[in-house]
Amino acid sequence: MAHSLSEECTPLKHKYDSCFNAWFEGYLEPAMNVSADAQQRETYSKQKAAEYEEKCGKIWESYRLCVQKAVKDKGLDTLLQQAREENPLTEPPPVDKSSSPSPNS
Amino acid sequence: MHFFSQLFNYEHPWSHVVIGMWHKYPNPHCSHVVTVDTLSRTIDPKTGIVRTERVLGCKQKAPTWIVKLFGGSEDAFVREISFIDPATQRATITSVNLSLSQFATCLEQVQYFPSSPHRTAFSQTAEVQARLALWRMAADGLEKWLVQRFEQNAQLGKVALSDVLRTLWEERHAAHV
Repeated sequence: MAHSLSEECTPLKHKYDSCFNAWFEGYLEPAMNVSADAQQRETYSKQKAAEYEEKCGKIWESYRLCVQKAVKDKGLDTLLQQAREENPLTEPPPVDKSSSPSPNS
Repeated sequence: MHFFSQLFNYEHPWSHVVIGMWHKYPNPHCSHVVTVDTLSRTIDPKTGIVRTERVLGCKQKAPTWIVKLFGGSEDAFVREISFIDPATQRATITSVNLSLSQFATCLEQVQYFPSSPHRTAFSQTAEVQARLALWRMAADGLEKWLVQRFEQNAQLGKVALSDVLRTLWEERHAAHV
């Protein structure tokens, strides 16, 4: 696993990454196969989001606080703020049509 | 502005590629990426889309003229936002440089989507853009400074030769007397 930008945060980061990866690997394939029905998708997503929070929420909070401080110490907070203002990316960017698979494939 | 793009396939199903994404670093083939940190992550309880904001720390030797001109260092940081949508089976990753971003930006967009049940297409585009407005401001500032220096030096030149002339001719006059 890659290191954190602050050595102090690396052990927390490794713990958090392991937790997320374990959750994600259990989440992804069932999420792909869950029925196209919006209601069912919502029920599944809600349940898995809660499970993630329950399993990884605590370690995430410790890691987040550590890395937040490290980002500030490195002077990256202003640069990040600028980048967020310029391009918030709160929604997935529009799909590039030229690289889309054709509907029949 | 300069563009770059490429498209190819991985011989692995989409879910394997997307899981593998989180294990990409550290990697001997990409030894310039030395740190990876997650800054925020949300799982949309409605759509199931996982959004992640990360910051990647890179050690990449910039050409020395860039370091000298812009005062950059070996450490460069990149902001990366990814969206993974299990319903549409699409992963979109957007990255932009944080370091030296006041001079130029490199905006990269990567998408992973299934091209068959066992293959995953990878599409990548990047655009590099210098911030011309800022360059112009810097150029204006430089011109002003140069003109000021020139004026100051021109004044000094006048004083310098006046001194020389006075001394030279006063001495010669004195000699004739």
